[in-house]
Formats: sequence, C-alpha cells, structure tokens
Amino acid sequence: MADRNIEKVEYWRWEESRWQNPEITDWRGSLVTAGVDIGSTSTQAAIMADGKLYAYASIRTGSNSPSSAVDAMNWALAGTDLTPEDLRYTVGTGYGRVNVPFADSTVTEITCHAKGANYIYGPTVRTLLDMGGQDCKAIHCDENGAVTSFMMNDKCAAGTGRGMEVIANLLAVHVEDIGEMSFRIDAEPPPVSSICVIFAKTEATNLMRSGWSKEKVLAAYCHAMALRVARLLERNEMRLDFAITGGIAKNSGVVKRIERLIGAEALRTDYDAQIAGALGAALMGKALYEKKGGKPR
Amino acid sequence: MSTETLFEKAELRNSSVTAWKEQGKKVIGTVCCHVPEEILHAAGAMPYRLRATGVTDLSEGDTWMSTFTCSYARGTLQYLIDGTFDFMDGVVSSDGCLMAGRIFDNWKYVDGNAEKKEFYLKQIAAPRMYNENAVGYYHDYLEQLRTELGAYMGVEITDEKIRASVALYNETRRLIRELYDLSKSDAPVISGTERLKLILAASSMPKEEYNEMLKDFLAKAGSRPPISDYRARIMLVGSALDDPEYIKVIEDKGGLVVTDALCFGTRYLWEPVELEGEDVLTSIARSYLKRPVCPRMVDLHDEFADLIVKFCKDFQVDGIIYERVKYCEIWGGEGLYFDAHQGMKEAGVPLILLEREEIMTNVGQLAVRAEAFIEMIEK
Repeated sequence: MADRNIEKVEYWRWEESRWQNPEITDWRGSLVTAGVDIGSTSTQAAIMADGKLYAYASIRTGSNSPSSAVDAMNWALAGTDLTPEDLRYTVGTGYGRVNVPFADSTVTEITCHAKGANYIYGPTVRTLLDMGGQDCKAIHCDENGAVTSFMMNDKCAAGTGRGMEVIANLLAVHVEDIGEMSFRIDAEPPPVSSICVIFAKTEATNLMRSGWSKEKVLAAYCHAMALRVARLLERNEMRLDFAITGGIAKNSGVVKRIERLIGAEALRTDYDAQIAGALGAALMGKALYEKKGGKPR
Repeated sequence: MSTETLFEKAELRNSSVTAWKEQGKKVIGTVCCHVPEEILHAAGAMPYRLRATGVTDLSEGDTWMSTFTCSYARGTLQYLIDGTFDFMDGVVSSDGCLMAGRIFDNWKYVDGNAEKKEFYLKQIAAPRMYNENAVGYYHDYLEQLRTELGAYMGVEITDEKIRASVALYNETRRLIRELYDLSKSDAPVISGTERLKLILAASSMPKEEYNEMLKDFLAKAGSRPPISDYRARIMLVGSALDDPEYIKVIEDKGGLVVTDALCFGTRYLWEPVELEGEDVLTSIARSYLKRPVCPRMVDLHDEFADLIVKFCKDFQVDGIIYERVKYCEIWGGEGLYFDAHQGMKEAGVPLILLEREEIMTNVGQLAVRAEAFIEMIEK
C-alpha cells in the first residue's frame, strides 16, 4: 500500500531570529560584553557594546546545551565583524548557565532577567514576570534592575512555554498564532481545570470532542495559564510598573488575560522580550568586568 | 583525632553505635527534640535521634503514611521499616508534631514483631504551651517514662542519675554553643555543612564520647583554614533539616550558613536545663517547654522570632533561608507571622521561603533559588 503523502508540520516550532543594531557601525573602542541564556526551551545570545545592545540571536535549545550556546553566539556574531576573542567578558545564565563553554562567569536568570527588563522597559519596572519554557518567576526589582525579592513556580512545565507548545501541536495551530486566535470567541470560556500539561492535553481533547472550537479551547487554556501566573504575582505582591519577559510575553492571549486578572497593564516594548535574560547577562558581564578592574574572572 | 573521625559519627550506623551494641548495651531512638534524652541516658541507654538523612527510597513510608505527609517523617519511618535502624532497642516519641507522631504509630502497627523483640515503645505528650499546667502535664509523662523505661532497662532511674545526666548534657550544650561561636567571626573556620554533621554526630553517639571529641575539635579549630571567600552569610530556619547535602548546595553557591534555628541545629541542645531545687523532672519539663524551639510552641512565637533576630545580629546574617518541608504542619504559615513581627521588620533581614523534600531530587531548583537569593543580598 502506498504511503499517504502527509506533510509533517511542527506547530510548536517558533521562528528563530537574529537582530543587529543598525545604529552601531563601529564597535572598536567599546567594551564588548556578551550574555548567553540557555533556557530549557530556547537559547539566546546577546552582544552589547558599551552597554548598548549590538546584536542577538534566539534559537531553540537542542539536546546539547554547550553546542546550543555556541550556535547562538556564532549566529549573533555573524554579520558583525566581531570574533569571539573580541568579547571581553561573557556571562552564562539560564538553567544551562554552567554549560556555556566560553563564559567567564555565571549569574542566575532571575538576576539577569531583572537587569534585562530594566534595559528593555526602563527603570520604572518594579514587578517582572518572566514566563519561560518550563518555569515562571515573579520578580521585584528596583530602579537599577537589582532584584529585591522573587518567587518561582513549582517544578514542572504546567502553565509555561513548553505547555503552550504541546497545546499548539495538539490543536495543529502554529504557536505564534495562539494569542490572536484565542480571542476569536463569542464569550470567554471557563479556564481548563488543569494546566498540568498531561491533564490539559486530555482535557483539550475532550473539549474538542464535545464540540468546542479550537479558538475556544485555546482561550480556555490561555485563561488557565493567566490565572496561574496571576496567583504567583499576587503571592509576591503586585507593584507597578509591571512588565513581562520570556517567550510567553509574545502571546497576547496570555498577556491580555493576565492584565485583566491583575488589573494592570504590562509595559510594552519593541524589543524581543525573550532576550531579556541574555541581555541582562551581557550587562552583568559589563559590570563584572569593570568591577574586576578590566580582567575576566 | 581527625575531623573525619568526628564526621564519621554523623553516619546513621557509625562506629560508636557499633561499639555500643557490641558491648550489649541498648540504643533507644527518639522522635522530636521534646524527648528529654537525659532520662534515657540516666537509664543507661544511648539516646539516638531518629532521622531520614540520605534516604532515597520512600516506598514503605509512602505506603503507610501517604504522600500527603512530610517526607522527613516518611523517610524516618522508611528507615525503621527497611532495617536501617535495626540496632534500635526501642523508640520514644513525643507528639512534637502530628507527622512525627505518626512515625511512631505506624511503626508500632507495621512492626508486629516489636513486642517479641522486646522493644521499648513509648509515646509522651509534650504540651504546645508553656505554663504551670503544661509543666505539670509534661512532668507526669516524664515520670511515666522514668518508671517504665527503668523497668525495661532493669534499673532504677534515680534523681541522682538524672542530675548527673543533666550535667553531662549541659556540657554538650555549652560545647555546641562554642561550636556556633566559631561562625560569628568574619572568616569562620567551619562551614554550615560541617557543623550540621557535628550536630548529627551529637544526636547519634554517646554524649561522654562526643563531648571529648568536640572539645578536641574546638581546641584545634584555630588551625583550620578560615573561610572568607563566601558571598553572603545565611541563617537557616524551618522544618527539621537532617541532610548536610542540602546546606552544601547553598554553600557551593557562596552562601555560608553561619547559624540556624533548626531542631537539628541550635534548637537541639542549646539552652541549659536548670535544676532549681524543685523536683528534678519538673525542672526538666520546665526547661524543655520554655525553649523557643519551633512554632509548635504556640505561646512562644514572639520569643522564637526574637531569637532569630538576635542570631541575625550575633552572626552578622545577610539573609534568612526559610526551608519548609512540603506538608510541614508546624512551619506551614510561619512566613506570614515573620512578616508581621516587629523585631523581624526592624532587623530588615531579607528572607526567602524554599519548599523542599527529604529526598534531594530537586538540587537544581534549590541551587538556582539559593544562588539568586545570594546574588540579591550579596554586598
């Protein structure tokens, strides 16, 4: 029997990206530092010249963290005339921070995200929600982007980026379209009762069988995810201004529902909020380099 | 004597336990630091505080206690059932907390051979308040313990014997306070990981031998290399913590644990038992009940918070890690209380709550939280 020719689509696969600052034409004479954020799901490399974002790359974390770090950094460097030797200080961050082979030191993603958000959103940010691939964090920070307290979620992928990817695959909806699609509904449905990825998958399947549209299921899932992080924010007390970093910051279906639940709008930015960790790491690299009198390590 | 020799005593079945058993003497396990070890010691038994250090399998504990109970209690029950504590000749438990109380109940139920093996099993009630009624009530249980344990051991536990044991234990307490004093300086000569091992050793070997070994350790402590490359000075408060590996994760990230308010720490043997001329067991009951040990003492919350504030000052603490075993009944809501306590507010020492399980499966999650906290408070 001949095989059916079915195109295999990976709906979860978000677009990897690279960006370079057109305003920086010559980095020579600048202190060039870098940050690499190896998350459970994505890896970013950011390069800064004198504390100004020069280039970044964002890719999927592969099965090998060190090679993900190298790949991300090589892509960020491509197009610039920088070589790895020109990076004066590199900080590794994220869950794979100890697996950045060329890092001079490591700093946790909590500290780096606060620093990065301070750069991206400005010094008024006091509460930061970092929604990553497999965890989320509610962070308080001061006007310098220094962490003053933080709270992390539990130990699984429930209600995080990876959970969203699983739902995208299940419903055959591109992950980047989920946010917009989740508002194509007549009325907001109740949230799915569980955001455990396993149970939510079962529940979503059942809802589809019972006649719910994909949009309605997505709305219910985004709603549940928003509820979960709203509780995390409440537990750590809400202070304005409020901002979101991490991949889910790009999902309007979750962001707008969080805003509705907490009664506050998140700051908006033209930057890719997913690079906040790497960006913060590069800024930490600059600070550490200067603190150590211009010597790495 | 090398430090390693003393650290070896922190092992569950250490060389002192083996030597004790070879002499045909009895080891009595205790649950909770509200079992006055002095009475067991006066009977000629070796008190041994039961714990779950290093447990990796909770199958028996889960079977009998359900996974919705604290993993420290389940781990201790596991060791009782799986034979790890087969050198025990008895168990004396207090109702220190509901979870720990169930270790005793379940084991008594599970181990049908306990009576055949001539085990001594006793549960005493330790009131959760400190007042004269509570002292009297607790005293009555201690009197029962004295009578029944004496019969089991075939000795009379006289006041004189108890007084001698109290003197010995007060010496242990004095030495342990001296041990903690080592961490008050800017460059302590002992880490929190090492110190916990020394406290575990205290709970797992004869005090006569321990006192001599600790004295020797303290006399030579000056020659130990000072630790100055830490990033922050940490105090640990919270649920029973009997695993040095937990502290090691924090210290590997640069957070030197300089003090604690833990029942396998300063709260184990610290405040001396005062024999004030009244009945000896009344004095013991009073001394044990008036200690601010943990939030189980419902009318000593202020004293407990005051103690934490005092330790913060004495040990130059930069931040407090409040570790709570999942489903811990005693430490469930203490964070809210700390937030409201005036002394804690004024001290302004940053505090983070970290939930944990007895089995160290979440090292990565602990490490990132501890490291971020250290980055936050680092000066």
